[in-house]
Amino acid sequence: MTDSHETHHHPPYGFIFVLLIGFTLLSCVADIMRDALPSALALAVVVLAISVMKATCVMLYFMHLKFERAWKYILLAPTTILAIGLPLALLPDVGVHYYDIDVPQNPINAHAFDGSDIGSGGGGAEAAH
Amino acid sequence: MGLAIPNSKLCMWLFLGTEIMFFTAFIGSYLVLRMGSPGWPSDPADTHIVLWAGGLNTFVLILSSYFVVVAHEAMTESNYRKAWTFLARTLALSVVFLGIKGYEYWGKFDHDILPGHVAESEDQAASKLEHELIVARESFLNDLVPLHDVSVKQREGWVGNLDSFSAAIAAEGDDSQKETMQSIFDALKSRTDDLAAFQTFSTAVTTYRDSLRKGEVELYAHAAESVEGEHGEAGHHNYGEKVQTVLDAARTESVAGFSGGVHDPHPMVYGNVFASCYFIMTGFHAIHVLVGMILFSIVLLQGSRLDGRWVDFVENSGLYWHFVDLVWIFLFPLIYIVQF
Repeated sequence: MTDSHETHHHPPYGFIFVLLIGFTLLSCVADIMRDALPSALALAVVVLAISVMKATCVMLYFMHLKFERAWKYILLAPTTILAIGLPLALLPDVGVHYYDIDVPQNPINAHAFDGSDIGSGGGGAEAAH
Repeated sequence: MGLAIPNSKLCMWLFLGTEIMFFTAFIGSYLVLRMGSPGWPSDPADTHIVLWAGGLNTFVLILSSYFVVVAHEAMTESNYRKAWTFLARTLALSVVFLGIKGYEYWGKFDHDILPGHVAESEDQAASKLEHELIVARESFLNDLVPLHDVSVKQREGWVGNLDSFSAAIAAEGDDSQKETMQSIFDALKSRTDDLAAFQTFSTAVTTYRDSLRKGEVELYAHAAESVEGEHGEAGHHNYGEKVQTVLDAARTESVAGFSGGVHDPHPMVYGNVFASCYFIMTGFHAIHVLVGMILFSIVLLQGSRLDGRWVDFVENSGLYWHFVDLVWIFLFPLIYIVQF
């Protein structure tokens, strides 16, 4: 039979629950105090770090991974690597560019060109270069 | 040989492995699209994202996850009554979660923040307004002359000139149709205020449409302010004269009952891909919540028959439910908080 519930003291579920609620409140406080943070990116880093801590608590204690044997690594490592692969594959061409993106519907971009550029069917990127 | 865990638990973990890839595909694509889209809509005034609803739903899911572990613990201690009670509480919380999610979705539908529906430029917003106005006018016309087999143009002519309607009734060969038309005609004669309101509204819509065709419509009174200043004051838009005139016509008391689908025009760059991402991520998450509810319902239906044979089922259902919680833990900050 499994070693997951019989051979260890049960995890401090109540404490983990309080911790998770505390982390959630911390995320909301970070959102409310966003102006006090140096940038929007800083807020993203803070709230995502909090999310990682919350996820870790859920996985380790609620999902009992802390008390499972090494099979958890064999099972979860490949899926995690494959899961990260897709965003990484999309990142160079969709998420990060060395070139300007032509977004004709964006008024910020549209104002950068005169009327003839806007009506010429794109080419804002070329115009910028 | 084999792993020291039940087969069912191994299967659940293998399934959760696929689920990790499934949701990472959505969340990862969302992140990449967002990074590559300068001007992504993140202001709650644009997106109608409700922080308190997301925060409350986070609390609800975490509490339900806690109830599940308590229920599983009770199962291992053979306290089946306690396990049943806590699973019932979990099920109730999942209903609350979907209720709050439904409230949020209602907001999105109400403001027409749906994939393919969002105007991304001022021209698109002006055209969308035209479409919504024409739909509202037709809705009003359907109320006045509910003859759907007669063309809109013909009915508009009748409403504008009741004598032509009377002549059409006289020329109608089908007795049943003639009787229907006559009853509508009689009712119309007593709705003079509505007829006048329709004429005023219809004229306003036609004027707006013609102005749009001629390129004379400016969405905002001061184009330079529209990029940044349109949300300067909550709910206030400094629309151009032609847009404001037709909106005022649509908001009059007589027309309001038919112009619910006429929204204040509001261009939102990347609004459609935002809506797609929002609905696909939260929608699939909600489907997972529904599946969890089914799993818990199966256990709850056992009632007093719940016994030790259900320990593994409850544990595996719990693992699934914690994963649903885990996904929301990342969706909450990414959708509700992060703005860049």
